[in-house]
Amino acid sequence: MTGSVIVITSGKGGVGKTTTSANIGTALARLGNKVVLIDTDIGLRNLDLLLGLENRIVYTIVDVVEERCKLKQALVKDKKNPNLCLLAAAQTRDKSAVDAQQLKDICDQLKEEFDYVLVDCPAGIEQGFQNAVAGANEAIVVTTPEMSAIRDADRIIGLLESKEGVEKYRLLVNRVRPKLIKNNDMMGVDDVVDILSCDLIGVIPEDTNIITSTNKGEPVVNDEKSLAGQAYMNVARRITGEEVPLLDIDEPDTIIDKIKKFFSKKAQG
Amino acid sequence: MYDNEFFVVDMASCSSTGEIINSLSLALETLNHSGKKIVLKLNDSYFNQSQMLSIQSLITSYGCILDTVETTNEDTIKVVENMNIPVQKPIEKRVDNSYSNINSTNSFEPFSMSSQNNIEQKEENLHFEADLDAFKKQNEVDIPSFNNVQDGKDEDFTIMQNHFTAHHDDIIEPETVISDEFQDADDLHTAALYAQNLNTINKEQESKEEKTEEFENTEKKSIGVYKKAYDENAIDQDEWEEVDFYETPSNDPVVSDSKHTTYINQTLRSGQVIESDGNVVIIGDCHPGSEIRAIGDITVWGILSGIAHAGYKGNNSAKVRALKMNAVQLRIGDCYSRRPDGTNIPYIIKSSIFTPEEARVVDGEIMLFKINQKN
Repeated sequence: MTGSVIVITSGKGGVGKTTTSANIGTALARLGNKVVLIDTDIGLRNLDLLLGLENRIVYTIVDVVEERCKLKQALVKDKKNPNLCLLAAAQTRDKSAVDAQQLKDICDQLKEEFDYVLVDCPAGIEQGFQNAVAGANEAIVVTTPEMSAIRDADRIIGLLESKEGVEKYRLLVNRVRPKLIKNNDMMGVDDVVDILSCDLIGVIPEDTNIITSTNKGEPVVNDEKSLAGQAYMNVARRITGEEVPLLDIDEPDTIIDKIKKFFSKKAQG
Repeated sequence: MYDNEFFVVDMASCSSTGEIINSLSLALETLNHSGKKIVLKLNDSYFNQSQMLSIQSLITSYGCILDTVETTNEDTIKVVENMNIPVQKPIEKRVDNSYSNINSTNSFEPFSMSSQNNIEQKEENLHFEADLDAFKKQNEVDIPSFNNVQDGKDEDFTIMQNHFTAHHDDIIEPETVISDEFQDADDLHTAALYAQNLNTINKEQESKEEKTEEFENTEKKSIGVYKKAYDENAIDQDEWEEVDFYETPSNDPVVSDSKHTTYINQTLRSGQVIESDGNVVIIGDCHPGSEIRAIGDITVWGILSGIAHAGYKGNNSAKVRALKMNAVQLRIGDCYSRRPDGTNIPYIIKSSIFTPEEARVVDGEIMLFKINQKN
């Protein structure tokens, strides 16, 4: 069995790479796949925090690379889902502790055992990015509907195209606010896809649940009611090859909006 | 300052073994560690055989020999004679020049200022020396070891150099340039001592794991949740997790009270590591992501939220104390435990309510005790 290695990257920081990794990983595991998440953000690790596994980490990826432990020993099992494992990054070292070949070897070993190997990439295009991309055969480029994030995503797509191993890359538009798009204050998802001319894998609406879920250490996909959680679940389905239509992320009108509409119609009429 | 062969240590001012071991280790650090014969002067308080044995083993651990004991206590004389060590009754006025006298407690004080100057004058490019300085400057107890004559001090350094470079070559890449001195210290210490650290992890509760096709067999050890000994509502439901540990032969346990203490007067932030081959006292908070490893005890005068590993060479009697215990993981000797999941708030609210707690190993489990609680 050979699983696929998917790198989640963006170029720009703060667009939601780690959140996306945690949620897609959890969602894929909930769909019954064996998933391992690799945090390559050595020195600034966060993925363990989002999954609530911070207190379980004994060995890290650096220990594996420096042969202080075996690969299997460094995998931390998720609290709820036994299908999900985490290979944590070391907090006390930096990106140079691991090189691209070593990470490729780890990915190659893991994809024999797991259906999906998700690699959480650090921001930037330096060694951390080069390491993370090394073993990947698929990529998800995360961006937000802002010019700066789109520009960085464009650069990343260019770099991914020049990589030999990466067969396909898809775009995930994060933190979309339908209301702002409606009022023409924010770029629409179609515009983003047009600019980057890239396949779309999903649209995630802005959701305050993300903040609480991060603090609790529980991915938002476990919350059935959350819109972002549902959107991440759909993304996971699309990764497995299922055809899922885009989620309707339009927020329902609040009472104040309805009243405003009512009066504006009256004024026009 | 002292004769080539003999070294008289005056311990008349000390009455407990703890005091003696403390001052003796200070005094011995100033010696050239090659087969010196120690003449130990004691007062009239009584020491039993195990106490004398621990003193003797301390002396031999510094590469010296306990040659003669001077004491007035009749019981102690018997004990010492049982150990085949010659006993001397103290002479009121010593005129003998073959022995030179050092009072271990008093003689160091006048030097403590000059020793700091010494450190500043001697600037070396090698960074492990720099990090040593950083540690020594904050280390009140350790400073006296620098008051030695220049030769002695150099020796002190070379020992450390050998110790670090042995591990340095294989773990840290030579081209890695770390600007921050503190970070530097971290990595070196990590590199040098983490390897030893791992030796001691797995001893107990071994159970065989099923064979998988891709991975070899490994030994298992549980990582439990640390509980409050005094709290009846302590979290009990939390399941124990099986975590794989690497099995390697362990080193001999080390007695923690014979060790020096490092004082660190700063807040430890994420990614910073403190390593010590003695006890560690941190005056400040330890944020999540920081790590403290010590052969002896760890005391945090603040909130402990990182990882603390006391007695990391397999000393299960080591302790971890903190004004507020919120450690992500506690490791004592070869016991591991983690924070209960319910309290997974990354940065605990800095309230004014502090419950000073001490973590100890009880029956192979790490338990928290209130610091003034008698157990």
